[in-house]
Amino acid sequence: MDALRRVAVIAGYEWRRALAKKKILALIILAIAFQTLIMVVFSQFVGTMFLTNEAMSFMWIFGVLEGQGLFVPLIAIIVAGGSMSEEYEHGTADILLSKPITRVEYMSGKFLGGFSLLAMVEALTTFVGVVLSLWFFGAQSGLQFAPLMFLAIVYSSLIFFCLSFMFSEVFRGTTLAMLVAFGILIASNVISPILAALYSMGGQYLYVYLSRGIPTWAATSFPSLLMSELITTPSTVLSVADREALYQAAMIIAVYAIIFIVIAAYRLLKSDVTKKTA
Amino acid sequence: MASHSVLNVSNLTKYYGKFKALDSVSLKVDKGCVYGYLGPNGAGKTTTIRIMLGLLKPNQGEVQIAGANPSKDPVRALQLVGYASELPTLQTFFTAEQLLDFMGRMFGLPMQTRKDKTKQLLDLVGLKEWGKKKIGKYSKGMVQRLSLALALINDPMVLIMDEPTIGMDPEGTAHFRSLFTNLSKDGKTIFISSHLLDEVQRICTHVGMINKGRIVFTGPIEQMLEAFTQQWVVEAELEKVTENIVSSLRALEFVNDVKVDGNKLMIELKEKKDVRGEISSEIFKQKGVLLSLNLRKVTLEDAYLQALKGGQ
Repeated sequence: MDALRRVAVIAGYEWRRALAKKKILALIILAIAFQTLIMVVFSQFVGTMFLTNEAMSFMWIFGVLEGQGLFVPLIAIIVAGGSMSEEYEHGTADILLSKPITRVEYMSGKFLGGFSLLAMVEALTTFVGVVLSLWFFGAQSGLQFAPLMFLAIVYSSLIFFCLSFMFSEVFRGTTLAMLVAFGILIASNVISPILAALYSMGGQYLYVYLSRGIPTWAATSFPSLLMSELITTPSTVLSVADREALYQAAMIIAVYAIIFIVIAAYRLLKSDVTKKTA
Repeated sequence: MASHSVLNVSNLTKYYGKFKALDSVSLKVDKGCVYGYLGPNGAGKTTTIRIMLGLLKPNQGEVQIAGANPSKDPVRALQLVGYASELPTLQTFFTAEQLLDFMGRMFGLPMQTRKDKTKQLLDLVGLKEWGKKKIGKYSKGMVQRLSLALALINDPMVLIMDEPTIGMDPEGTAHFRSLFTNLSKDGKTIFISSHLLDEVQRICTHVGMINKGRIVFTGPIEQMLEAFTQQWVVEAELEKVTENIVSSLRALEFVNDVKVDGNKLMIELKEKKDVRGEISSEIFKQKGVLLSLNLRKVTLEDAYLQALKGGQ
């Protein structure tokens, strides 16, 4: 019980620490502005010309997912990238870890605090996405799946959150941790279409497997694949359902997240608390 | 006889890569004792303290705080400890009140206790008017004061302070000194690492000295003064020190030893006796020009320098 209390105290601390940073607040505002802009553009220039009425009734899915590819991983990387490392850089890790708390509790609190903050941001963008779609495209179908969609987004964001969290602890330098995580995000986004093109040219299934091993595939595909499974009505908003791919995406997210967290925990448990570096 | 040690460091060895920072360091601090931990820069003082707090893992040996090992059981060991670091950096996004409240939560203190303690401690360290201001706006001295308040939030049995007054103005230093004296009267065990020998001599009951990772002395202050120097010395400043002067002074029956530092001589006496007349005439005999001559009791600084030489 006491252990849970200590984890909760650190999680609350992590919220305050992250929200005190202007760049995180700026990114949240930017994500919502971008979401709104895309919905305006779609409603004004695309929707009426290219979308069927049925497709327009599922635009909430698009509204919710549009930020998924870029902003959610960005926010995840920024929140998690400084989570552990900034405490070393500022020398505050000494203050926190010289209190009656185990390192596992400390890391759990940090992780849960940062991740719950990210989940709140995702709840906000999900809500905004739904509201905007109702505003611009009228009545929406399948809204009963919105909470599931939200959970799928939260789950899929584990990959980049854990990746950045791991680098934050392994490098103990925020800039380096974020740069490497951003690098992987960008490289994944570049490599993925190349592998897809190779598959379409040669038809070798190996390229499909390789592309699925890339972190961005599982992170971006899982929520839409899940919606495709749940909402069976044919719609241009959703990609074609593929149950095998859905399971693979879920599995890949879990495997990546576990590996990253185990590496971070190993580093924290086995090494000394480094002194102030910044 | 049963041991009353609340802080027990045994056989600590710590390597940074190939560099041996601590070499079989052992010391004991009894309940209610004010222990000054002395040593030159890089001697291993901060490393010892960081191991005591479970921040560093020793390659060998262990620390026990009231019977608990902070590396293995930090929850039990550190529940009793207050720690203020050297030149502390605190979370600047908090106000002092918020940070004290947060630290109180870390120790599991109930809300009302946290509120009362926050008020009381801010008053104690002279930051009553600053409680609602963001820490980012504090001066270094204020951060140090707040750091002491944070170390006291859990009413600790053991207070560990790493250079608590470094960079502080004289007023702040005097304030801290009186605080430590009061805390010690309250029965708290205080472990202070410091460079300020005068300060240590004034407030500590016991000292530990470390040099190049090795303990060269640990025990009561009086014992240290006796162990490393005689009680009285004559300090002589000459225009020029020659070998003849030194050897003739050493030959005097009441002189224990003569140490040379540039054009200064530190003449250790075998017993307390005003022998300035004999010393000055011996210097004149050897054609030395005397600039000043003082008889004084040895200070902790003398003992410290002696102990370091002995430890090398």
